[in-house]
Amino acid sequence: MVPLDEHVRSYPVTDPKPATEQGLALQVRGLHRSYDAPVLRGLDLDVCQSDLVAVLGPSGCGKTTLLRTVAGFDHADAGTVALGGSFVDAPRVFVQPEHRKVGIVAQTGALFPHLSVARNIGYGLDRGRASHRRVDELLELVGLGGLGRRMPHELSGGQQQRVAVARALAPRPRLLLLDEPFAALDSTLRSSLRADVRDAIHAEGATAVLVTHDQDEALSMADQVAILQDGQVVQMAPPRQIYEEPVDLNVARSLGEAMVLPGRLTEGRVSTALGWLEVGHRSPAAAPGQPPDVLVLLRPEQLELDVASGVKCKVVSTAYFGHDGLIGLIPAAAGAGGLGLAARIMGPSRVPAVGEHVQVGVRGSVAVYPSA
Amino acid sequence: MGSVLSSSIFARLIGARRTVALIGIPLLTFGVAGCGAIGGGSGDADLTIYSGRAESLVADLITDFEDSSGLEVEVRYAETPELAAQLLEEGDSTSADVFYSQDGGALGALSKEGLFTKLPDDLISAVDPKYRATDSTWVGVSGRARVFVYNPDEVEPPKSVYELTGPEWAGKVGYAPTNASFQSFVTAMRVLAGEEKTREFLIGLKQNGKVYEDNGVTLDAVEAGEISLGLVNHYYLFERQAEAGDTPLNTQMAFAEPGDPSSLINVAGVGILEGSDDLEAAEEFVTYLLSDEGQQFFATTTFEYPLVAGIDAAEGVPPLSSIKGPKIDLSDLDDLQATQELLAEVGMI
Amino acid sequence: MPSLAAAGLTLLPLGYLARRATEQGWPVVTDLLGRQRTLELLGRSLLLAATVTLACIVVGVALAWLIVRTDLPFRRTWAVVAALPLAVPSYVAAFSWLAVDPGFEGFWAAAMVLTLCSYPYVYLPVAAALQRIDPALEEVSRSQGLSALGTFVRVQLPQLRFAATSGALLVATYTLSEFGAVSLLRYDTVTRGIYTSYRASFDRTPAAVYGCLLAAVTALIVFAEYRTRGRGRYFGNAPSRRPVVLRLRAWRWLAVALPLTLAALALAVPAMATVYWSAKGSSSAVWDEVITAGWTSLRFALYAGVACAFFAIPLGVLAARHRSWLSGLIEQVTWVVHSLPGLVIALSLVFFGIRLANPIYQQTPMLIIAYVVLFLPLAVGAIRASVAQSSPGLEEAARSLGDSARTAMRRITLPLALPGIGAGTALVMLATVKELPATILLRPTGADTLATQLWTATSVGRFAEAAPYAAAIVLVAAIPTLAISRWSRSTSTLEATQ
Repeated sequence: MVPLDEHVRSYPVTDPKPATEQGLALQVRGLHRSYDAPVLRGLDLDVCQSDLVAVLGPSGCGKTTLLRTVAGFDHADAGTVALGGSFVDAPRVFVQPEHRKVGIVAQTGALFPHLSVARNIGYGLDRGRASHRRVDELLELVGLGGLGRRMPHELSGGQQQRVAVARALAPRPRLLLLDEPFAALDSTLRSSLRADVRDAIHAEGATAVLVTHDQDEALSMADQVAILQDGQVVQMAPPRQIYEEPVDLNVARSLGEAMVLPGRLTEGRVSTALGWLEVGHRSPAAAPGQPPDVLVLLRPEQLELDVASGVKCKVVSTAYFGHDGLIGLIPAAAGAGGLGLAARIMGPSRVPAVGEHVQVGVRGSVAVYPSA
Repeated sequence: MGSVLSSSIFARLIGARRTVALIGIPLLTFGVAGCGAIGGGSGDADLTIYSGRAESLVADLITDFEDSSGLEVEVRYAETPELAAQLLEEGDSTSADVFYSQDGGALGALSKEGLFTKLPDDLISAVDPKYRATDSTWVGVSGRARVFVYNPDEVEPPKSVYELTGPEWAGKVGYAPTNASFQSFVTAMRVLAGEEKTREFLIGLKQNGKVYEDNGVTLDAVEAGEISLGLVNHYYLFERQAEAGDTPLNTQMAFAEPGDPSSLINVAGVGILEGSDDLEAAEEFVTYLLSDEGQQFFATTTFEYPLVAGIDAAEGVPPLSSIKGPKIDLSDLDDLQATQELLAEVGMI
Repeated sequence: MPSLAAAGLTLLPLGYLARRATEQGWPVVTDLLGRQRTLELLGRSLLLAATVTLACIVVGVALAWLIVRTDLPFRRTWAVVAALPLAVPSYVAAFSWLAVDPGFEGFWAAAMVLTLCSYPYVYLPVAAALQRIDPALEEVSRSQGLSALGTFVRVQLPQLRFAATSGALLVATYTLSEFGAVSLLRYDTVTRGIYTSYRASFDRTPAAVYGCLLAAVTALIVFAEYRTRGRGRYFGNAPSRRPVVLRLRAWRWLAVALPLTLAALALAVPAMATVYWSAKGSSSAVWDEVITAGWTSLRFALYAGVACAFFAIPLGVLAARHRSWLSGLIEQVTWVVHSLPGLVIALSLVFFGIRLANPIYQQTPMLIIAYVVLFLPLAVGAIRASVAQSSPGLEEAARSLGDSARTAMRRITLPLALPGIGAGTALVMLATVKELPATILLRPTGADTLATQLWTATSVGRFAEAAPYAAAIVLVAAIPTLAISRWSRSTSTLEATQ
């Protein structure tokens, strides 16, 4: 392996972790890969030791290609991949998958059907007493203690994924790659499994990259979320920060429901159809000195109903989910131009009827972006 | 889940050593096989014979030869034409010393390709020149005559085979068109009478006749009364008679008038291969075949004609000299191709 | 490496044919090809191959459907019985029919005997595929108002296409190369022309030209089959539910007529003929010799099966995992060679063997090499299908856990493909037990197999002596046949990759 030379990161890192302190587990620089059309276009990604990074993007954005390249099942057309400071894929360098010490968890688990659970988990370990201990330890860790002798087909889908995670963790990989590991499971199973898998990864002190198209999964599991768009990482930040301060509106939309209102900036506040709002995050392009007309990002959970000081809106739709609900609204004031809003209300709140008029207020500060 | 289930059970059954077995078995196989686990290799024996004659006919003869000569003989049995083709491919590298052929045609073909060495004149001079190669490359060792076998209660035998196409023979004649001797007879007819006349004859025979798998079955059909007359080799009748013991058969044998192609004499013969590495042993074998002992074997065991003057055919078999077959050089019968095409054309084979 | 060695071996017969065909100059070749008889033979070969293949597809698919998808009485028994005709060599079947009726000959006779002997090549993979089709598809179709038959035609048949085509390829190449039955039943084909040319004129050129013609025709067929296979992938996502069984009601007992008739024609007729010969004839076989020959047959078959599997594993993996023009070409060449008559293969190996491998010429290893050249694609096909069934994701998981590509193959892919490897080995064993022309020319001197002993006895008309050998061939061949039917039920080992 070749020593790593320094490159400059080309995407905005809003929370620069002290890289020198923990060291980079994975460094991807300028990764290009095309099949019939370009899939990855100069992708950069840094993953620090012991971090769990979620790579979030729609299907077809290159997530799986990224994982396969890091794992060594695919190769870069251009760019470099380094693990723990050594190149594994660079010009004239290609380290075979089996020498990368990268564990993978596939979407379907890919358990070896002819091997028992214990032998699946112990697959990458040298045989011996130590390996038995390690297998038992991992079975406990993923909550499957005592099931080591089962065959894979005797397990439920969720259990199979737990085994897949345990198997990948067993040889203490430098990096764990998870390729949409919960996509094939039903939603109730998914959330508990997410928490368990995150805990298992943290308990092992492992570094992991999780690719997913599910923003809940990315935000709830990861230490850092990287947004992949058009074959590039456009932003990477801790979940809360990336949710509240996305670098642009596309990133904002990829992280959940987003409403965009036109507004006009004046002295740190912005005037919108919902009144004067506090500006929290300002994208650099909407900095002071730029034109005052901006776009304002609002999340449904920021809207409050029945606020005395609020703006009058008409309820056009309701969707009730039990734990919460989504209320569709149109500002009643003329000139608002049919602007569609959505407010998330908590379960126990009053659900207004369609056609009813309600006073709508905004909680917290908003992020602003340059218009057009 | 069926496939997953079964493969897991399979894997459990076979256990951890399966991969060793997967790789190991073929290597082991070749190892064992390579050591010559089966049979003696060619070259161990003093003499290797490629025999187109059936094992059941000549195995005893060869054992007798081994006993009298003290030589160890290896015989590879197959159909005469296949062996001829094999010898053509093997060329000089062949391990065969002697080719023992069912008919003269194959011997002629190999002789043409220069595969045979000349036989010493004193060895073969006892055989009538009619029954050996003019260039002494092969020699006939036993003969068989084409004959009519017929049921005398039903029909009188014809004077000529051409009569069999007449309406009075409809449904009464049996023959085996895939049999090599029958094809030799047709070849002889082509050589003697020409393509056109032969085609006419075959079409007529096909209309009147019934097809059988081989000579033996044809004879059985005459004996059983299915047909009245069959075109076969002479010795079948004597084999049957020997098997039947004293019980008289319903069938008798007849020859056509002299010169008729139906009375063709075919021979089985041998040639010594140019590539033979033990000429002496090979010549010893040919000598034995032409010795009194060898010739007697043909007369009494296979009911064929001995070809060396002075040895008589089996009792009841008409002497060879009495058969006035067509005047034809047996080496001319090596082109069966046109015969077979003709047979195919008229729909016999 | 082994795959290249095997590919090289299979090229030998083609090289031999090209050399022999052209040794008398091109005018002879063009003259032969231009002759009306050549075209006629080719036409007859193709007509027979097409008829037999079609009949096998109809019979095989119908039988598979009845056995897998209906409440046919005794279906488990029929599932086994239906595969057994594979154990009956076509020449034994032809002899048997001739014993029943000496006038049994010509096109329809040959077509019928060959269909009876080879329909299991279609039945087995189709039955396996039928078991895997998701029953939900049928239910949707039925709920859309289609009848059971309509559903079968419009929903199931298209999904069976790949299974049926791969079986059909086996049948077609087998029919083109078949000599014993067409010769006994007097139907002239290119293969028979090849034999006639050797037998009648001792002239190798026409035989070689016909051989090239046969190879060219097969190349077209194989190429067409290869194209229909497409680039799609199939990883065994077996349905979680058992296939739906259609109630035949009153038709139940009528439907039994099909498997019953087939069993009677394909199995009972040879059995009866064998008994008849034994009873009628005065000759008799020595039991010691039958047992010795049986053991020799079995041993050769075992060697051939294992050797073929050894060479076929890399080829099968290559074909399933790394499809390229080269792997495709290798696969197609092995099929083309498979369609050549055994005598041609044998003679080409005589030609090369005596020059290049004289120490093993007419020794067991040489004979095994001949079997490999003859039967390699049988094993490759089965192994390819079973490798394709296991997901490449499994190999990737193994590699991420520290296995090299080779180790992952050994620890994961091959164990999962074991049923396919087993079935491939069994198919080769089956074919080896029945093989005659190459065995006769290349066997070690004195090594008699059941097939050569059968030939020895029948060539002098000793049918009573032949009968036990015929029966023994069927019995010995029944062992791999049962293995195949067992393994192909759990996987689709005979089936092409979808």
